[in-house]
Amino acid sequence: MKSLRTIIVDDEELARSIIREYLEDHPEVVIEAECSNGFEAVKAITELKPDIVFLDVQMPKLNGFEVLELIETDLTVIFVTAYEQYAVKAFEVHAIDYLLKPFSRERFDEALERAKEKLEKDLFTPQQEIIQSVRTKDEPLERVLVRDGSKVFVIPTGKIDYIEAQDDYVAIKSDGKSHLKKQRLADLESLLDPKRFVRIHRSYILNVDRLARLELYAKDSRMAILKDGTQLQVSRTGYEKLKELL
Amino acid sequence: MHPILAYQERISVYLLCWLIFGVMLAAVLALPHDFSWTEALSLAVPLTLVYSGICLSSWYVCRVYPLQKSSLAQVIVVQTMAATLTILLWILIASGWVVILERALVLTTFRSRVLTKAPLLIGVGNILYGLTVAVHYLIATFEASKESEQRELQSRIFAQEAELKALRAQINPHFLFNSLNSISALATQDPAAVRAMTLRLADFLRKSLRLGAQEMIRLEEEISMSLNFLEIEQIRYGSRLQIMQNVEEVCKDCLTPPLILQPLIENAVHHGIAHILHGGTITIEASWRGSVLHVRIENPVDPDRPHNRKGGLGLENVSKRLRAIYKDDAQLQTEESNGIFRVNLWLPAQTSRDFHSRSSATTTVKVSENLPA
Repeated sequence: MKSLRTIIVDDEELARSIIREYLEDHPEVVIEAECSNGFEAVKAITELKPDIVFLDVQMPKLNGFEVLELIETDLTVIFVTAYEQYAVKAFEVHAIDYLLKPFSRERFDEALERAKEKLEKDLFTPQQEIIQSVRTKDEPLERVLVRDGSKVFVIPTGKIDYIEAQDDYVAIKSDGKSHLKKQRLADLESLLDPKRFVRIHRSYILNVDRLARLELYAKDSRMAILKDGTQLQVSRTGYEKLKELL
Repeated sequence: MHPILAYQERISVYLLCWLIFGVMLAAVLALPHDFSWTEALSLAVPLTLVYSGICLSSWYVCRVYPLQKSSLAQVIVVQTMAATLTILLWILIASGWVVILERALVLTTFRSRVLTKAPLLIGVGNILYGLTVAVHYLIATFEASKESEQRELQSRIFAQEAELKALRAQINPHFLFNSLNSISALATQDPAAVRAMTLRLADFLRKSLRLGAQEMIRLEEEISMSLNFLEIEQIRYGSRLQIMQNVEEVCKDCLTPPLILQPLIENAVHHGIAHILHGGTITIEASWRGSVLHVRIENPVDPDRPHNRKGGLGLENVSKRLRAIYKDDAQLQTEESNGIFRVNLWLPAQTSRDFHSRSSATTTVKVSENLPA
């Protein structure tokens, strides 16, 4: 039988050890890595590309759902948590199963069996679809997560100056740095707090706290001058939106 | 709302009383043979009934000048003025009625005979007005005391509800599930550790049930329970969770409401330590200054952590409980600086002696309930 590669992600050593123990009965499953926080998990998953990930939800730095958001490769995920309330969300992101702590060996085997079946049938959900469903839209985003290789950046929305569309990506400008993220500008716009972030142009979302002044530079066209001197073009509808907010 | 008009049975009783007054007035007029019974009754009864309606309006004067909040002189002056107006109105109506009666029943010298009784009628009018005012004031006082009793009861129910809610929130089910998961993991690795963990868990649960049922407990007991909780969490978090305590000896006998620190300690673990890669130290300090017990809990936090409302809920519960128990004498304050989250709690410093001398005066019933029969 083909061997399966797995990564265990949980911030508690004891919680990881029980999965390790249950896996002893399944020699075909090889543990490639164990991670104790979200950053490590993103790094290990992108570098090792495992078949199955056992994923805790509540962890330092990034929670389990945020980890998934940053992964672009196809993945079979089994959530492992003491919290029942994440179950619905877990299946929304196409988790194969949801183990509630504490769980029995039988229940664990069942979850693993499901994962294997899915892997054999090669039924993958495109990762882009997962990213779209991870974020619930009832509350505005507090931080934006960006991955560069296996490095993760957490950018609190308050530290964003502006966001620029670049083909399939958005460039998030913060503290003089630019972070690329694979996302559509309109999708990101819909997640941000509309009282703070305004789409001033087809290609720009502006954090209004950074705006110093507006200058008229051609008929029907204005320029936003930011506090750090950056100049951004403002479209007519963008100007209407800004006027409404200020 | 009018205290008489609002209730049908009060209206009936009121009208009945006035009907009797009417008949009595008729008797006063008829007995000296100045008036025939027909004359007396047809004059007195309708007029008193009309007057009963007018007098009801004195309620509005009573409401504007309640006995508790206005001086006696004020009440007398205002009510005298109101009485004069009421009687003038009544006399106006009465004279009209006399004319109507005289014409309708073809009576002789009726008007002049009524005129001789005018002082009597005015006197009776005054007395009846005064009576109505007295009744209104009586009802108002009665209802005010009933209302304040109800308000008192309501606030006691609120306080108890806050207390119950806080207690129910004490034992966090996720804490239990995670601890059980640790036990399940240890079962095959380290049976001695399983036993130690089970004992600690049992200890913690027993303490929280026993102490939670009491009105007040000693700070030492509260802190020992919190340490118990932290020791269990230490098995889960390993070296990530360190504990430091600095409790002045004198504070240990101070009384606190049971489980008041517990939600704060839980927050320190679940919203502090749990979000930090390498963990940190939770510090518990208690000191006694003057008449105030000061408890401080500190824990490191990740400044970039996602904010959720659950920690705020725990704090809110604690502060609601404090308000229910101490009114404005206790204070809860939080601050965050340089990656440290700090909760300060100031309580009136009471020992069991202060508490019993205070509570024995106010809640004797409670004390006697606990005595063996």
